[in-house]
Amino acid sequence: MKVAFYPGCVSKGACPELYVSTQAIAGPLGLQLEELTEAPCTGAGVLSEQNPDLADSLNGLTLAMAESKNADVMTICSTCQGVLSNHNYHLQNDEKRRDKVNATIGDQGYRYSGKAKVKHLLWMLFEDIGLEKIRGAIKRKLTGLKIAPFYGCYILRPEEYLGLRERPERKTYLEQLIALVGAEPVEYRGSTKCCGFPMLTFNREKSLEMGGSHILEAKEKGADMLVTPCPLCHLNLDGQQPDAAKVMRKDIGVPIFHLPQLLGLAFGFSPQELRLNHHVVPTASALEKVELKV
Amino acid sequence: MIFDHDVIVVGAGLAGMRAALEAARSGADVAVVSKVHPVRSHSNAAQGGINAALGEGDSWESHAYDTIKGSDYLADQDAVEVMCEEAPNDIIEFEHMGVIFYRNADGRLGTRAFGGASQARTYFVGDITGQALLITLYDQILKAGVKVYEEWFGTTLFLENGTCRGLVALELLTGELHLLRAKAVIDAAGGGGRLYEPSTNALICTGDGYSLAYRAGAPLMDMEMVQYHPTTLAGSGFLMTEAARGEGAYLLDGNGERFLKQYAPTKMELAARDVISRAETKEIAAGHGVNGNVLLDLRHLGRDVILKKLPQIHEMALDYLGIDMIEKPVPVRPGMHYMMGGVKTDVNGATSVPGLYAAGEVANVSVHGGNRLGANSLLDTIVFGRRSGKAAAAYVKSVTPSQGGDDLLRSEQARLQALLARPYQGETYAHLRLDLATMMDQKVGVYRDEAGLLSALEQLAEFRKRYELVAVGDKGRVYNQALQFVLELGFLLDCGEAVIRGALLRKESRGAQARTDYPERDDAQWLKHILLTYRAGAEPDVSYLPVTITRWKPEVRSY
Amino acid sequence: MKFTIEIGRYNPEGKYAESASGEQGFPAPWDKSPPRRYQTYAVDLPDHAVVLDALIAIREYQDESLAVRCACRSAICGSCAMWVNGHANLACKSKLREFTKDGKTRVEAPPSMPVVRDLVWGMEPFWQKHHAVTPWLEPKQPVPGPREEYRAPNAAMENLIQEVSCINCGCCLMDCESFAVNQEFLGPHALAKAYRYAGDPRDADVHERLGEYSKPGGIWDCTHCYECVQQCPKGVAPLEQILKLRKMAVDAGFTNNAGTRHADAFAESVRDSGRLNELTLMPKSTGFFNIVGQLKTLPSAFNMMRAGKLPPIIHHKIPGVQRIKTIFQRVGGRFK
Repeated sequence: MKVAFYPGCVSKGACPELYVSTQAIAGPLGLQLEELTEAPCTGAGVLSEQNPDLADSLNGLTLAMAESKNADVMTICSTCQGVLSNHNYHLQNDEKRRDKVNATIGDQGYRYSGKAKVKHLLWMLFEDIGLEKIRGAIKRKLTGLKIAPFYGCYILRPEEYLGLRERPERKTYLEQLIALVGAEPVEYRGSTKCCGFPMLTFNREKSLEMGGSHILEAKEKGADMLVTPCPLCHLNLDGQQPDAAKVMRKDIGVPIFHLPQLLGLAFGFSPQELRLNHHVVPTASALEKVELKV
Repeated sequence: MIFDHDVIVVGAGLAGMRAALEAARSGADVAVVSKVHPVRSHSNAAQGGINAALGEGDSWESHAYDTIKGSDYLADQDAVEVMCEEAPNDIIEFEHMGVIFYRNADGRLGTRAFGGASQARTYFVGDITGQALLITLYDQILKAGVKVYEEWFGTTLFLENGTCRGLVALELLTGELHLLRAKAVIDAAGGGGRLYEPSTNALICTGDGYSLAYRAGAPLMDMEMVQYHPTTLAGSGFLMTEAARGEGAYLLDGNGERFLKQYAPTKMELAARDVISRAETKEIAAGHGVNGNVLLDLRHLGRDVILKKLPQIHEMALDYLGIDMIEKPVPVRPGMHYMMGGVKTDVNGATSVPGLYAAGEVANVSVHGGNRLGANSLLDTIVFGRRSGKAAAAYVKSVTPSQGGDDLLRSEQARLQALLARPYQGETYAHLRLDLATMMDQKVGVYRDEAGLLSALEQLAEFRKRYELVAVGDKGRVYNQALQFVLELGFLLDCGEAVIRGALLRKESRGAQARTDYPERDDAQWLKHILLTYRAGAEPDVSYLPVTITRWKPEVRSY
Repeated sequence: MKFTIEIGRYNPEGKYAESASGEQGFPAPWDKSPPRRYQTYAVDLPDHAVVLDALIAIREYQDESLAVRCACRSAICGSCAMWVNGHANLACKSKLREFTKDGKTRVEAPPSMPVVRDLVWGMEPFWQKHHAVTPWLEPKQPVPGPREEYRAPNAAMENLIQEVSCINCGCCLMDCESFAVNQEFLGPHALAKAYRYAGDPRDADVHERLGEYSKPGGIWDCTHCYECVQQCPKGVAPLEQILKLRKMAVDAGFTNNAGTRHADAFAESVRDSGRLNELTLMPKSTGFFNIVGQLKTLPSAFNMMRAGKLPPIIHHKIPGVQRIKTIFQRVGGRFK
């Protein structure tokens, strides 16, 4: 299945393990990744807030590029998903906004007519690729692992832009996936809450406390690790975890996996192939539970 | 504990807060007492708008005439003149406070049509006008630094030598009883919808203000005048604003006919509320309704108008009945909505009890007489709220503060202790209230007659006996709502008795009072107000006051 | 139809005071409430009944000791906000059949707020924040005469109606993540109210307001997570109002904060390379002269480097980056 692959900025910057593991699992999932190499950053909501027209045009360009490839946009980042869905919703329903965008990008070789769809890999797994294919690709059941899902705000809210009113099951895909690979999903309040990343540069301590408190809650409920479909969440939950532990004056030490890494393990890839040896918080404690070494 | 202030305002709805603001501006030390947080007051449920003769080509005389005609000539014309003359200034004042009224293309305040008005003079904010006014007023009393005793429930007024000197109130948070002593009290705790079932009113509209004043010796006037709103949502009884009809909605019977042709051929859906409620009741009784309702049809208004100007009721119909009014008509029926009757006051809110003022729905100046026009209640609250606040502030300048009240505080404490100590004997407040409210709707509703009213009075006496047996199902101190509800039921019984007695005494049909045994209006005998004054252990004293006529002679009232 | 409802009970005096329920464990920052116990009730109501119908039925006919604030029953008074199945909701708008999960619906006072009794929660934190934003109009001078309104386009009034729809129920605040960890944060309702007056053409103090709201605890302490937009039962979308305030504040010159620097650094990076340069984003947002701030970020930078996660020093531009530059030239505003 061909997809207009939109890796986002972080998977090619601070979270290369996300990019690498996505590439790895594409094969078993039958995904043909046509990367939108010339598509710009979505602006992560920061640009949308300060200059809506600019964010419209940047994201309109990305959507137009996907449209021209005749394929759905596949994102691997909750934030990219949220921002693109938001702008797509408006560009599809508001002709004036769309006209404005086309006036700006029209002479750059692309026009957007509102037909592109944007879907996160997480959604595509259930809605396009199908459970059968996934089950068929699983070579290693991760039985014995207790995994806490961490969605990331922008893949859950606002529901209107993300098609969650029509497809409320999207709010449960992570739990379903965890069960599918043979592990036990952990239920906890923080799974749908904010990791604090948007505030990291505004109020560092409080941002870290936010992310830290969710991990600790999951840990209290028995989680061995968290899995997240958002690399920005990953940065705050994994990259900043030691600092969060200092701010909160508590030991944390819970590894954070990217969604494709979890699938990759289940599909039989080695931890090294999935760059699980390149996390700030060591992944060994989780890998041990399924008799793997990093 | 005892707290002293110059002026105490009971009730923090629009009238109460407007009175407090004015009293504060006039230099009085004023405090507001409310059994709920001010923004929870039922003023927030008013939807459609507020009237004023502000527009080009409009005149306060025209507004006054519409109001007087709407009242079926029971309104006191001097009071109506005051309200309509001052209305434009009051609306503008609220605009200066920041209310986000709807504007015309020229950036000036714009209007919508409303019932019983000879020209459009209703100013509005979407269909949340009450909410918008209330929250803006709350912001203003914050700005003025007015003290609010929040979630304090008034149990009885304090009188010293026949003068009102304060209020005993239960602090819900701690269960402690306090005396709020003052040189003047403004009663703004109106609304008694819980007396009827169904009603558009909130659960907190339990007739507190009427009973408190009544027991303090202030007469209740024209209590029989109870307004049934023609368009309340089937089932729940929630208000579907008159503004829907103002924007052009139709009322249809089961055959899709606009049945008001026969009842109000000129004004049709914008006739006075009592006229329409009676029409609907007749049609439903004759079998032309749809499951006991009629239909409010807004489809022809179009999506844009509905979502922009009537978003709240659109959501209500969707939420509570699953009906999208853009696509389908909504079943509605008459539901009890407003009390035109209330505590008799003059145009400055003064009751016959020195030191006691009243304003808002609880008061009867009378500006609404036998029937209130839509969008006149919001106006009533702010005009007379302001006037009573000013009057009370002036009055207190020459009053020496009271030193008493300890006895009352002790006796109230004993009364409440006794109530709490009552053992369960088979009666609960919920059962009794429902029986009372159902009875009122059946026998003292849109249509009444002698037999029904006499039987209602008998039943009320029975209810009073049962009330003596009602036990309080919660014995705690912190936030004891069961105690509050039992006390509120007592207030409702007083209101119910006043409504029934008034309806029995008035042997005519006028405004909202429709007697099948006296179907005509009788100006010769009944162009007067009926006042009931409380007598402990006996029937209330009945007296009459002539209606004040200034320039509008009573005419045949047709729409 | 039969419904089962589980209610979190708490009474500061009497029966429930001693019964501590459940696990103590790690006190999440949002859990400020005393222990509660859950009591189960069964009710028989029409299909379309809402949680509040159940609570009233219980209170009236089964257990008069249940304390719950409610008045209008129709989502206009804002009294009955509480946690329904773990999320903020108005009891009068929550249909039992939609919320029944595993055979029951659970309601309780929000753990992020102090509890008075049962479902009645202490609203002091809510009102304290509300009062802190100068929530009233400071009329622009000269005030028009007593029979004359300020002139304003209807669009300006309609712009504010979203916030004026706020019924002060507290749903947004009880689920606000920022407020849970940071009690200094004004919160979504207060900041939405702040926009209502800052965005009112008749207000005289807009500039001062924006300055105040840009301070710590204000608009830049929001974590942009849309929880308030999700939980608000009246469509107020507090986050949208906060974002409008942010733009107004930056346009008004209140730019000496990490929020503005962050946006500037982000835009610069996207303009020049088409993508985010994470290496420079952090130090630029922190502010070059903010030595303490810069030092604080060093440990995590070091950790990232050790894990091999530091982005390459040479920041690659995307192919076709000229297109991006053109877009910025045309609609980039201050980011040109």
